[in-house]
Amino acid sequence: MKRKLGALEKVDADLPNLQHKLKIDPRSYEQDFVNQYSQYRSLKELFLQSPTTTDDSGIVRLRDLVDFVSHTADCYPKLTTAFPLDLVELLDLHHATLDPELRDKLVGALVLLRRKETIDSVQLLDTLWPLLLKTPSKNLRALLFQKILSDLRTSNQKATNHKLNRHIQSKCFELIVSDPTSAKGLWAVKLTRELWKRQIWSDAKAVSVMKEAALSQDAKVVTGGVRFFLGGDQEREEAAAEEDTDDEGNIDMGKLRHQAGINKKTGKRANELRTAAAKVKRKEKKKNSPHQLNFSALHLLHDPQGFAEELFQRHLQPAQPKVRLVLEQKLLVLQLVSRLVGLHKLTLEPLYSYFIKFLTPKQPSVTSFLASLAQSAHSLVPPDILEPLVVKIANEFVSEASAGEVASAGLNSIREICARQSLAMSDTLLQDLVQYRKSKDKGVQMAARGLLSLYREVGADLLRKRDRGRDAAMGLRIGEKQTARFGEVGIGEIEGLELLEKWKEEQGIDSEADEEAGWNNWDAESDSDDDGEGWINVESDGEEIDISDSEDEREKKAKAAAKAEPTFEAQQSAGNTPAATTPASSRATASLEPEAALKREESRISRLATTRILTPADLAKLNELRSTAAVTAALPATKRRKLLAAQTAAASSRHADDPLTAAQISGLSAHSYKATRQEKIAMAKEGSREEGGNDHRSTTARRKEKKESEGKSTSNKEKERKKNFLMTLGKAKRKGKRSLTQERAILKGHVERRKRGGKRGNKGQ
Amino acid sequence: MGSSAKKKREKKSDFKKTKLKVGKARPKNTNATDTSFAAKSIVLKQQSLSESGRDPPTIFNHNLSLLASKADTQRRDALSWLTNAIPTMNATSLPQPPSAILSKAQPLILDGTASVRSQLLKLLRVLPSDQLGPIDQVLLYTRAGMSHLSTDIKLSSLDVLDWLIEAQPESTVSCAGGWVKTLETFEKLLSWTGAKGTTGSLTGDGKWSATKPTVSLGSSKLLVHQLNSLTTFLNAGLVRPVRNEDLLAIQAAQCWPLWHFEAHLMPTKSNPYGYLNLFGKPRDTKSEMYEDPEERQEAFVTSGMYRAFSQDVTEARKEGGEVGRAAAGVAKALQLVVDVG
Repeated sequence: MKRKLGALEKVDADLPNLQHKLKIDPRSYEQDFVNQYSQYRSLKELFLQSPTTTDDSGIVRLRDLVDFVSHTADCYPKLTTAFPLDLVELLDLHHATLDPELRDKLVGALVLLRRKETIDSVQLLDTLWPLLLKTPSKNLRALLFQKILSDLRTSNQKATNHKLNRHIQSKCFELIVSDPTSAKGLWAVKLTRELWKRQIWSDAKAVSVMKEAALSQDAKVVTGGVRFFLGGDQEREEAAAEEDTDDEGNIDMGKLRHQAGINKKTGKRANELRTAAAKVKRKEKKKNSPHQLNFSALHLLHDPQGFAEELFQRHLQPAQPKVRLVLEQKLLVLQLVSRLVGLHKLTLEPLYSYFIKFLTPKQPSVTSFLASLAQSAHSLVPPDILEPLVVKIANEFVSEASAGEVASAGLNSIREICARQSLAMSDTLLQDLVQYRKSKDKGVQMAARGLLSLYREVGADLLRKRDRGRDAAMGLRIGEKQTARFGEVGIGEIEGLELLEKWKEEQGIDSEADEEAGWNNWDAESDSDDDGEGWINVESDGEEIDISDSEDEREKKAKAAAKAEPTFEAQQSAGNTPAATTPASSRATASLEPEAALKREESRISRLATTRILTPADLAKLNELRSTAAVTAALPATKRRKLLAAQTAAASSRHADDPLTAAQISGLSAHSYKATRQEKIAMAKEGSREEGGNDHRSTTARRKEKKESEGKSTSNKEKERKKNFLMTLGKAKRKGKRSLTQERAILKGHVERRKRGGKRGNKGQ
Repeated sequence: MGSSAKKKREKKSDFKKTKLKVGKARPKNTNATDTSFAAKSIVLKQQSLSESGRDPPTIFNHNLSLLASKADTQRRDALSWLTNAIPTMNATSLPQPPSAILSKAQPLILDGTASVRSQLLKLLRVLPSDQLGPIDQVLLYTRAGMSHLSTDIKLSSLDVLDWLIEAQPESTVSCAGGWVKTLETFEKLLSWTGAKGTTGSLTGDGKWSATKPTVSLGSSKLLVHQLNSLTTFLNAGLVRPVRNEDLLAIQAAQCWPLWHFEAHLMPTKSNPYGYLNLFGKPRDTKSEMYEDPEERQEAFVTSGMYRAFSQDVTEARKEGGEVGRAAAGVAKALQLVVDVG
């Protein structure tokens, strides 16, 4: 006779069932739990007797029980105090030989216990971290890394868990420091980089971990650390930007509400609506919260001079370094060193002589070397050190015989070096190099022109007279343009401020109302500052008048005028006129006398900067003016010129912290040789839809796409044109057969509608 | 025509020098080996399925290895083959020693298929009982089976326990962990924890009364079996070997001037002063070996199980019927302790 099995007695279907019941009523099922727990213990014991030879069914059973107990352990904390320790011990001792699934389950169970707060994060990570370093299994490492990362993320979600972070950071640090030669440090590098990217770790301690990594003695760890400094911050920014624009963010609450009104009302849908609303609210809150200020890793470094020196001495300088780095890795290190030197204006003299042997066109990836060299030049490097390098580049790269791309790379790199330290150039060499602007090769031409325009700005006296150009020549004559001496530091000023002032003058904007408006545009939060009369009062008209007064006086003296009355009148008028009229008056009395002009210029600048707080609107305008000025200075005629203009604009907007790349050094030479078929195809495919590139489509198609992207629909004309032919037939047929009365009614209706302005009438207008 | 031109071009291209571009990485060598492949599968040699032409020991070993097979019918067939084969062979001429057979077969105590388990029991019965070797492993599996979730496995593992006691009563109770741990398993199975969970008592927080969970739903078959096995187990553990006074008198007479000379001989059991625990770790009383009935009795009493058992057995007796009769057996076995202490 076949016995009927009750659902409870089925072996396999049982544990989840029991688990469910246990969670509902832990007390009543305590006995069952005790039974299962003892079963787990006896199975564990069996397993421990022969960890490698236990058969499949035993392992499966143990796995199920571990799963079961870890899910229900929080109901019986007293009975299961030893459970987490058991799991830790099992993993610790047998991780190498465990069945993979059981092993993963054990890790999962530990994480689950952490989520239920049976164990704390430190305990969990102290178990997983050594395991990550020990285990030979790739899968387990991936799993462990992911779990460690997610645990760190969750424990930092609500507030930064400083204690935990410090603990893990010091573990990472110790890992690298304790054995610099081992490749295990890579895990510390990986973890730190990932957490840096997610902005969970953004402090100096994380940076010091990476610093140690960069100074370690394993090639992979070194490159990991160096790459972090070169690209970690950019990665972080990108991740943050991605987070802002992810599609979750664009929840249309109105649409969802509308749908909820129409669709069947279920608990699930109501929940979805609620969560969506909560998400939108959170997003809004996040948007309004003050932006987190993150320092870049390069700025958080403690003792950059020491770091740069050590990097150089350890990895680059010795002929037989402890770590064998391939060229690519060496280049990365070099890039970092030169970046540090350029950014912090460090003094590292052996670095420059190190470059010399690499500066030949045959050297692989020489453009990267050139970029690094240019990057490491700054205003505090003695010109004597840089000059031989410049000469060497000129000799090796720039000659009539060398290929166009070689010459342009050389010229570009010389320009970049000289932009940072203009004194590294002698006049004969410069005059020689500038002659290449007559070259046939476009790339060389452009590069030479770049050098020329640079020296027109920073050292026109080195150029031949006819090369100086009008502005530079005039500037030289009036003594306005003078070559900066070594170590001279310019007076701090806001770049492009004079442009802004000029614009303001032209627009006739100088009133207080405008300033207020500028602030109003800024932010909803600063609306409370509306009663900013105090700010405006600070702008003391009296001072301005004083300045203009004295100017006037001096001018008068210079002209040796004995006319007392006009002077008095001028004083009077100056005393009465508001601020808006003063610039006009000063312009009227402008003279060509150099000293006076200089004085006036100074006073003008200082006036705007010192008397007014620039509103955000002002700053935005300033930026705009600056960029347009740069563009209009070299108005494009051909496509290539346009490209150059875009490049110069990009260069002018480049921040001092941004790195110099090999691509910038090779510059336009990319266009100077005939592209191969593959390159052409790639160009047509990739860069096509980017701005500025030719996307090989008709103007209409492009316009249409633009319209669509702006969310605009078609015009009436277009609708008419596109209307299905068959739909128009009926009307066309009837139109000829209308009676006169019908025709009249229709005409009347038409006139009526014209009067009203459309069928519904444009009442609003 | 076309192909020859193409060939010519190909031949020429060997001697062409690739133009290096400034600042670009060197192109890869033409003889570079691509190592980015991975093996997709491992091919095994063909398995031979024919049994003819193989000598008996090979077939025996083959069947023994089939005990770990995935298919339950295969496991059962292998078991029945072994059950039939072992009695026909002489105990000394077995291709594998009985202890090895046992260690292969013991995981099947926890097998999910009923037919395999019943067949396993048959196999165990035919094994020569004096050559089983250390049995603490089997006992581990048996205990795991006794606390299993499925009633069928519980029942069959009780059968295995009965067989063990029958085959090797002394080593069953005296092996490491054999005494206290097995008793603990019984304690948990019967939920005989003494006063803690008696009927109608209040729960821990004193708010509500909890009924004692019923062990068996509907049938009392399992409970009866458990009680019976407990009885045999207690008997095996607590009954002392009968002292034959006459025999002792004869022995004493034989070595007459000496008196109590056994006490001065070299001890016959290992680690005679182990109970002092002079150099060992703190005691793990549960997994220790208890070799004497006295030791076992003391462990039984000091762990508090004796009190709990005797308290709960009286209640079980009150149930009457089959359960009551089985409980009476347990009570009788418990009296062995009372007789002595």
